[in-house]
Amino acid sequence: MSPTQKRRFTIVAIILLGVGLATFLALRAFQENIEYFLTPKQVAAGEFEPGQRYRVAGLVRKGSVSTLDDGVTHRFNVTDCKFDVTVQYTGILPDLFREGQAIVANGAFSDTQTMIAAQVLAKHDENYVPNEAADAMMLAQANACDDATDSVSY
Amino acid sequence: MNPFVTVWDFFGRLYHRLASPREFYKISRFTTPVFGLLFLLLTAAGTYLGLFVAPADYQQGDSFRIIYVHVPSAWLSLFIYVVMATAGAIGLIWRMKMAYVVVICSAPIGAAFTALALITGSLWGAPIWGTWWEWDARLTSELILLFLYLGAMALYYAFDDRKTGERATAVLAVVGVVIVPIIHYSVEWWSSLHQGATVFRAGGPAMPSSMLTPLLLMALGFTFFYGYCLFLRAQNMVLHNERNSRWVKDLINELE
Repeated sequence: MSPTQKRRFTIVAIILLGVGLATFLALRAFQENIEYFLTPKQVAAGEFEPGQRYRVAGLVRKGSVSTLDDGVTHRFNVTDCKFDVTVQYTGILPDLFREGQAIVANGAFSDTQTMIAAQVLAKHDENYVPNEAADAMMLAQANACDDATDSVSY
Repeated sequence: MNPFVTVWDFFGRLYHRLASPREFYKISRFTTPVFGLLFLLLTAAGTYLGLFVAPADYQQGDSFRIIYVHVPSAWLSLFIYVVMATAGAIGLIWRMKMAYVVVICSAPIGAAFTALALITGSLWGAPIWGTWWEWDARLTSELILLFLYLGAMALYYAFDDRKTGERATAVLAVVGVVIVPIIHYSVEWWSSLHQGATVFRAGGPAMPSSMLTPLLLMALGFTFFYGYCLFLRAQNMVLHNERNSRWVKDLINELE
């Protein structure tokens, strides 16, 4: 490389480093705001303000789903297998909603353990499995927390 | 003879030939149809295997098959930006004409793939997640990538002087490359609605080979489509940029 080219190379490298560092610091400063949801563990630790809107994600706890007398209000627990948050939601649940499925509930906390959700979304995971194995997969999914001794990720 | 030196020498010569607009034009007359053919063959095979041979997913049913467009488009949207940034740096440092051509001609193709990834993702999200759009880290950063591509396209045409436009666009391409690792790692660094990586993950792909093979064929096919479009656009741009040079005039005389 000629001296001019070396100089230009240095300038390009410095610009890239500078932009990279600035982005890194900015993203670190915004860390909590970029997080899409709270985990049941964070809720249990009280990392929320009452009355504010949050998203909570977790697995639908086996045996926790019930529908109130009005027929459209559902109550269920979302869990990381260790901590639970009760979600109450009036409306149509997503097609993928079932026991053991990861879901995201968006709403406000009425007390320290219960969220009144305005929206419930299904969170699809990275696994793709052929149809033939559907029954085994659904069973394994519903029983996901049976052997868990600590918080699981999803 | 040392084979490594021979191969290195071959690529060295190829690089220098591609650096000359005239030589690039000659080479691309040959490579463009080859890329087009490979794109057709690979995508046809991928489409057939993906739509008719791969089994349906256990919970998404047949709607999972949109992955065969969505994931290759998303990969290409990142790959093309890395190509643009690399070409931009080469252009800025070595003042190589053809590198700028690669930057300018790649931008609309990258923008198209980014838009396709966003649209197909939205179409998939509606039935699976229950929403068309959420402002999570992956979706938002991919949207920013689309604006970077559109910005690069607009910037080039914002200058009356072509050389100024080329350099400004190259700078944007280089600076914007920080978005690529952010998009890739967004699903690991932060919680997101978008799922983690299925193919490039620790422990191997979370997908059986009957579903994975068509995906890889489509990804390769899309890459050749990018090459095909890039070379076609670059041919055009080279002829336009070099319209006053002797070899282009000779070429036109031959045609007449």
